[in-house]
Amino acid sequence: MIKISNLEKIYRTEDVETVALNKVSFDVKEGEFVAIMGPSGCGKSTLLNILGLLDDPDGGSFVFAGQEVAHYNERKRAGLRKQHIGFVFQSFNLIDELTVYENVELPLLYLKVGADERKKRVEEVLEKMQIMHRKNHFPQQLSGGQQQRVAVARAVVNRPRLILADEPTGNLDSINGNEVMQMLTELNDAGTTVIMVTHSEHDARYSHRIVRMLDGQVVLENVMI
Amino acid sequence: MLRNYFKIAFRNLLRNKGFSFINISGLAMGMASAILILMWIQHEFSYDKFHEKKDRIYQMWNRSVFDGKLQSWDFTPKVLGKTLKQEMPDIQEVSRVEIRSPFLLIVGDNKLRVPGGFVDPGFLTMFSFPVLKGDAKTALNNVYSIVITEKLAKSLFNDDNPIGKTIRIENKDNFIVTGLVKSPPTNSRFQFEYLLPWAYLTKIGWDDDYWGNNSTNTFIELKPHVNAEAFSTKVKDFTIKHSKGQEQNELFLHPLTKLRLYTQFEGKIAGGRIDLVKIFGLLAVFILVIACINFMNLSTARSEKRAKEVGIRKVVGAEKSTLIGQFLGESIMLAFIAGVFALALVQFFLPLFNSITDKQLTVQYTDIRFWIFLVSFILFTGVLAGSYPAFYLSAFQPVRVLKGVLKAAHTSFSPRKVLVVIQFAIAIVLIISTLFIKKQILFSQDRETGYSKDNLIYHFLTEDLVKKYPLIKNELLNSGAAVSVCKTSAPITEGWSNSWGFEWKGKDPKSKIIFNRFCVDDDLTKTIGLTITQGRDINLKEFPTDSTACLLSESAVRIMGFKDPIGQIVKDNSIDWHVVGVIKDFVLQSPFENTQPMVIEGAKGWFNVIHIKLNNANSTAQNIKTAEQIFKKYNFQFPFEYQFIDQEYAKKFNDAERTSKLISLFAALTIIISCMGLFGLATYMAENRIKEIGVRKVLGASVINITALLSKDFLKLIVIAILIASPIAYWAMSKWLQTFSYHINMQWWIFIASGILSILIAFSTVSYQAIKAAMANPVKSLRTE
Ligand SMILES: Nc1ncnc2c1ncn2[C@@H]1O[C@H](COP(=O)(O)OP(=O)(O)OP(=O)(O)O)[C@@H](O)[C@H]1O
Ligand SMILES: [Mg+2]
Repeated sequence: MIKISNLEKIYRTEDVETVALNKVSFDVKEGEFVAIMGPSGCGKSTLLNILGLLDDPDGGSFVFAGQEVAHYNERKRAGLRKQHIGFVFQSFNLIDELTVYENVELPLLYLKVGADERKKRVEEVLEKMQIMHRKNHFPQQLSGGQQQRVAVARAVVNRPRLILADEPTGNLDSINGNEVMQMLTELNDAGTTVIMVTHSEHDARYSHRIVRMLDGQVVLENVMI
Repeated sequence: MLRNYFKIAFRNLLRNKGFSFINISGLAMGMASAILILMWIQHEFSYDKFHEKKDRIYQMWNRSVFDGKLQSWDFTPKVLGKTLKQEMPDIQEVSRVEIRSPFLLIVGDNKLRVPGGFVDPGFLTMFSFPVLKGDAKTALNNVYSIVITEKLAKSLFNDDNPIGKTIRIENKDNFIVTGLVKSPPTNSRFQFEYLLPWAYLTKIGWDDDYWGNNSTNTFIELKPHVNAEAFSTKVKDFTIKHSKGQEQNELFLHPLTKLRLYTQFEGKIAGGRIDLVKIFGLLAVFILVIACINFMNLSTARSEKRAKEVGIRKVVGAEKSTLIGQFLGESIMLAFIAGVFALALVQFFLPLFNSITDKQLTVQYTDIRFWIFLVSFILFTGVLAGSYPAFYLSAFQPVRVLKGVLKAAHTSFSPRKVLVVIQFAIAIVLIISTLFIKKQILFSQDRETGYSKDNLIYHFLTEDLVKKYPLIKNELLNSGAAVSVCKTSAPITEGWSNSWGFEWKGKDPKSKIIFNRFCVDDDLTKTIGLTITQGRDINLKEFPTDSTACLLSESAVRIMGFKDPIGQIVKDNSIDWHVVGVIKDFVLQSPFENTQPMVIEGAKGWFNVIHIKLNNANSTAQNIKTAEQIFKKYNFQFPFEYQFIDQEYAKKFNDAERTSKLISLFAALTIIISCMGLFGLATYMAENRIKEIGVRKVLGASVINITALLSKDFLKLIVIAILIASPIAYWAMSKWLQTFSYHINMQWWIFIASGILSILIAFSTVSYQAIKAAMANPVKSLRTE
């Protein structure tokens, strides 16, 4: 499903050049659950943002679902993104001015899904994430764990083929963290491809395969048994 | 989706009440001002556009070269109208219009003096003043017929049918009402309450066939499909031909629809009132832009708070264009809210605005075009205010904002700063202009008029009064109410007559310099208080030959080149006037213009006005009462209608003061709106730098240090604005001042004062927030992280 080769990303500021990704290559197959690990600043988030079509690479190739997307413009990327990709962040990133329900509904609005269908799907995922009773609350009125569940709900409501999670448990205690990992696993079991950045060996164990990075390069891939 | 946008927009509005208040009220004030000005402009443009035949009606104008300058004017010979109609088959209809004769109308005990005058019978068919009763074609055919407006009919006859009723005019002739018309709308140049046939003017001997007497307005209606330009060429030499070359004035056509706004010509239409309309149009644009800049600045300043939302929306699939749509929609929504408030403000301030502008504007709530205008205006404002923030906000990169790296770097050049500079530059230009305008008016008001205005009144001479003038004069003096009385050709505040036809020894035959012409019997200097610099005043009692004496003004002496003016002969109207004295120049017409040379002729002249210098020893009320009794005695049918010269003189400043008031009003508004924006920005800045301030205070900075630090950035912008505004204002004001021949010079203190004033205003706006931030307890602010 994903095939990247020799992917490069270089950040240039006035006097410093940071090579965030240095010829990174690897594949992810449909239905896989991959964990990316490595020390802080090694380029994990950069890689994930490129995989999620939020950012474009400076070199190399990125084939997503059979299309070369490395050179896609903002419009085309936004199109693919809203169709196929869901995001979960460490800091939840919910819109404070919208309620739980409205936050989850947002991707469907951009997909122009009809009102009835929207209601059905939003309620379905809220139910699944056990957050239905809070649907009219605003994010600030929820605990971290609840917020992350809303974020996951929002990530999956458009039934994406790929979920990208950047340290999804980073701001959570272990109970809430495990709950989120459980959800991702369930989604993966249902056929969704999951790529997750994490610092936690514990969380990484939920995955099928760990990609280890160092200084912008992939150094090791271990397959979990 | 729309609902989602609305929710976000509303929740943002409510969450940031302060910003919303500044945004909406600033926008509402700007919009209200712009709407008022646009209504005013619309009214100016609508003048005489309601006439069905407006595109075929023209006023006849003259042009000729005087003193090397091409002059154009709208007075034509009385004989022109009828001759044109006889000789030019292209003309459908002609009407001379002479609405300057306020006769006394009498019906029973009811006596009224209202504006009205003489027109040709064609007037009612040419112009579209709806005739409610009577026949437009024939109503003015009879010499003793009169057409009156509904308003006049109501005050003379109540609700009775006025047709066939009799009105007595000036206690002389009876007229039968033959037509009832609607009162002219305010946007017509013809403001009359009654119309009399031109034939009556002829009958009482006011008409003449002299091609050199440019004394009335002539309107023509061309037949359909006649080309006005071609016709203009045909009539160009009309006056020259008919006067056999005696007169050298070329005729030209000026369209009815342009009469209001275009009155200056330099070969072609060059200007006039349209210049004022343009200035106010510019003012409307300025105020609206300033209000929109507030909106832009506050929206982008607050962008960090919206950045996360933008990032998330992009992550879940929003495209840039969708986000632009969302933010534009938001600003349009805000503009609609502001628009509602603006409409309320317009309604509330309309009476004040009307009194300043001397108009009777109303909001046309029932007119669909008004609503179309309003909605488009709101949409326009929303898009104008929202466009920059929309592009700015929608350009955020999700990767960066979600990481929180959007701390906008403190660059030296940011659009927000540029916008603040623009705002204040406009405001400062307006402050400077206001001060100059006020100063120029004061300067002209303080001007030495050259005569003594107080306790001086005048009264028009009716026919009865002319006959009994010597008796009245005597009684006024004997009663002690007056110290001096004279009769003149015109009020001393108005010049009614001028000419380039004076002749004197040594005159260059080609000279066309225009002299004012004024007539007096005697006692002029005593009554008016003029200063004699050579010779003596005209004095009929001592010198009976003074009936053909004349006085010259000093500038007239200079122009005529007399070394010894006394005893010289000045020829005018085939009379040899001998100069007996020279007077100091005085302000006869506009106090904004240099005085024109003047010839004051003696008792052989013509007289319309009686001037009375009241006795200082009595109270004015008492003097007036005595004078009234005397007038009534000789002129019993007529009310005693006198004017105070000082009040008449003050009226010369009405227009200028009106403009000055409006400009200062809008200058104040731009300042207020700009300061609201500045206040908002300062609030935002104080919030944003709260941590920095905390750290600085912990390290030992004083409140003053910090206030200075925070205010400095803003004051820098104001200084730049002053530097930009001053040359612009200099240019505009020197151009404006040049339109008056009697004007102040450039005054540097005005620029300096405006600069200091704007810095003070800006500083007091910013310092509140700066001091508040500086006084905050650092422990508290550092804990907010
Ligand atoms: N916008 C940027 N401008 C300049 N350099 C950047 C930018 N974003 C990231 N970098 C640099 O790129 C490198 C990789 O950053 P990245 O965020 O991908 O690291 P990471 O592996 O996700 O680290 P962490 O585990 O701390 O989240 C770092 O050295 C970082 O300093
Ligand atoms: Mg990271």
